[in-house]
Amino acid sequence: MITFTDVTKTYQDGTTALKNINLQVQEGELLALIGPSGCGKTTTMKMINRLIQPTEGTILIHNKDIRDYNIHELRWNIGYVLQEIALFPHMTVEENISVVPEMKKWKKKELSSRIDELMDMVGLDPEKHRKRKPGELSGGQQQRVGVLRALAADPDIILMDEPFSALDPISREQLQKDIRNLQQEIKKTIVFVTHDMDEALALGDRVCLMKAGEIVQLDTPQNLVLNPANEFVKDFIGSRKTPWQTAVDVIIDYTNNKILTVEEFEKGRVVLEGTFALKNADGTYEGIIKNGERVQSPALSNDMILRDAVQVFESESHSLLPVVKEDRLIGTLSYRDIVLYLKESESNKVEEVSQL
Amino acid sequence: MIGFMNVFSQRQDILWEKIWEHLQISIIALVIATLISVPLGLWLTRKHRIAEPIIGATAVLQTIPSLAVLAFLIPFFGIGQTPAIIALAAYGLLPILRNTYTGIKEVDPALKEAATGMGMKSFRRLSKVELPIAMPVIMAGIRTSMVLIVGTTTIAALIGAGGLGDLILLGLDRGGDVNLILLGAIPAALLAIILDLILRLFERTSAKSGFRSLVSLLVIAALIAVGPLAFGGKVKNDITIGAKLGAEPAILINMYKLLIEEETDLSVGLQKNLGKTDLVFSALQEGSIDIYPEFTGTAIVSLLDEEATSNDPQEVYQQAKEGMAETFDMAFLEPMEFNNTYAVATTQELAERYDLESIGDLKPVENQITAGFTLEFNDRQDGYQGMKEVYNLDLGEVRTMDPGLRQGAISSGDVDIIDAYATSGYMVDLNLTVLEDPKNLFPPYQGAPLMKQETLDRYPEIEDALNQLGGKITGDKMREMNYEVDFEDRSPEEVAREYLINEGLIEE
Repeated sequence: MITFTDVTKTYQDGTTALKNINLQVQEGELLALIGPSGCGKTTTMKMINRLIQPTEGTILIHNKDIRDYNIHELRWNIGYVLQEIALFPHMTVEENISVVPEMKKWKKKELSSRIDELMDMVGLDPEKHRKRKPGELSGGQQQRVGVLRALAADPDIILMDEPFSALDPISREQLQKDIRNLQQEIKKTIVFVTHDMDEALALGDRVCLMKAGEIVQLDTPQNLVLNPANEFVKDFIGSRKTPWQTAVDVIIDYTNNKILTVEEFEKGRVVLEGTFALKNADGTYEGIIKNGERVQSPALSNDMILRDAVQVFESESHSLLPVVKEDRLIGTLSYRDIVLYLKESESNKVEEVSQL
Repeated sequence: MIGFMNVFSQRQDILWEKIWEHLQISIIALVIATLISVPLGLWLTRKHRIAEPIIGATAVLQTIPSLAVLAFLIPFFGIGQTPAIIALAAYGLLPILRNTYTGIKEVDPALKEAATGMGMKSFRRLSKVELPIAMPVIMAGIRTSMVLIVGTTTIAALIGAGGLGDLILLGLDRGGDVNLILLGAIPAALLAIILDLILRLFERTSAKSGFRSLVSLLVIAALIAVGPLAFGGKVKNDITIGAKLGAEPAILINMYKLLIEEETDLSVGLQKNLGKTDLVFSALQEGSIDIYPEFTGTAIVSLLDEEATSNDPQEVYQQAKEGMAETFDMAFLEPMEFNNTYAVATTQELAERYDLESIGDLKPVENQITAGFTLEFNDRQDGYQGMKEVYNLDLGEVRTMDPGLRQGAISSGDVDIIDAYATSGYMVDLNLTVLEDPKNLFPPYQGAPLMKQETLDRYPEIEDALNQLGGKITGDKMREMNYEVDFEDRSPEEVAREYLINEGLIEE
């Protein structure tokens, strides 16, 4: 979908912002770009809609060099969500959302129903909010409109530049959830810049960790956590504020040790002690087996944060819970996994402190 | 207060006309300033490097005193509304330009990036995002300019542009007639406040439409400006006679007009209250006016930059006439009798107390005397500088002030002696005593019509018509007529006509 080939950016004063970036963003994936400030993550993203020109190398979208597109039309087809939200303060919510469709000369009627549809999607009542000015909305609502503005003309690609960093923790969490839901519904290709590792791990289908203009590791969240390429990656992942904010999919047990198929269960291959998750032949989640008996239990979503997961443990009184990603059973989470993870993150912290 | 109400009711008609003129000049100047500054400011936001020098240049325009700008423009544009509007527009450039530039520049960079990132072209970004957001700042600039222009327009009266400045000038000329000054100043202030309110209202109701609101504002303003009383309404006369500020020149040009129209078939227009010598003379050279009454002494000292070779009126006239013909190719017709020379005047009471009869008598009391002189007199060789040399005087304190304010200063006792023009009306009103000038320091100042030779060649019949006044009008008579205009509020035209009829120069 988006391909960076040997992209380098050198500024006139000689500083190099990016060195030989090679990168592919798959269609429909959410790629999180992360790294310490000055690592080039935002530069990388802004090259996609040509806000920044590479000094060397090429960037292709749909296998066509982005320089061969009309720059304005290219941008109309790339949604852009800014860190500063940057809604136009003199325009109403409706007018803000209409900016790109109007340039693309959408019909009025079509546009109006599109606005209703979009606002419903993120839980903003169109009747109530259409005619409001951005200043009359809360920060969370504003950035929701910011996202809608990027989505309005149904672009193939959406760029998000630390979209939630200006928000309070509660709105941030809510919006992250919204983005996950949206992404599942609309399947856009999203390039998402963040400095928040938890956010990257929770939202990204893949995470691209950068440092000093280079890609250090580009991998799935799980691999990043389980198989960090080097100490830098390990440190960077470890340096999160609290392990309780971590999404469960970096903690869970991906081995099949605690998973049985329905077939296996029905054939009687039952271990009497312990708890196991049960999955169907197509990989969907079925239920759990507790000491040889089938019990119903809710499953955890892979992006649920640890704190919420522990609440489910409390109310369900199982020692192990299944974890699903869109109905598919991807692993299990047990008290043991949690304890080990907490221990590990604690020791990381101690290391950091002793290094200081 | 009662005095003010009287003045108001007496001059209501003229007041409305002046307000309207004032409004027209101000609005046209403001529209022009806006039309130049806003596009220029927008363009500069795309050319950062040259922005500051250009804005600096408009700042320089602002620092030049407005009167100087007006004087500078006369050789190119003459007198009247055109140079006034040009000067005022130049004056109004800076606030609008700076605010436009700053307003656009200060738009949150994130908003600009959002607009660019969403695929807006430069013009669309400007009209849809930057301009609407910068609009309040730009409007603030326009409002500042408006107040500046409405205020400065009062000065435009000095070059015959009309407006409320006419009333203020008249008030100043009549020795600081507070009521007249207020009659001009209060409406000017109200005008500024009302226009400001309108602009603010406009700014609020149209905050989001950017270009459209600005354009409609300009169109409305232009329509008002080119309203019924626009430039077109004036009849073109064969001859235009100008006059300096004051009652005496106004009376004289009315006499000229009456005489010319009596004796010839020419039509004559009048342009009174044109400020001081430099302005009127520039207007004559430029051709905005064809004739104006000038003093022989002034012609020699100010225009020819010479010194009078004699103190005999006739010789001074000859010197002036020849000099003006040689240097400027101008004709100086026969002078009238009265000698409106500089004089040093004091109150009768003071004259008696110190036994003052001539200027030389000031010497023994020079340290106790406070003088109120005009800037010009203070600086002139045939003024205070000459007094110091010829009469060996060194007065205790000299305060320089506007001509119109001297009489107030002497009647209130703030100053003891003033320089005066011998024929001024207030000499009668304040009962002032003129100190004699036995050493003939002050050259004779006799009034005579000054015009270009080519005007005289084209209309030779003027000469006979105007020379009828040659040798006429005594100093006392002139003083009396000035008094009637300045203190009895008779119109200069009426006074002029009465004199000519009494002299049998025109028929009733």
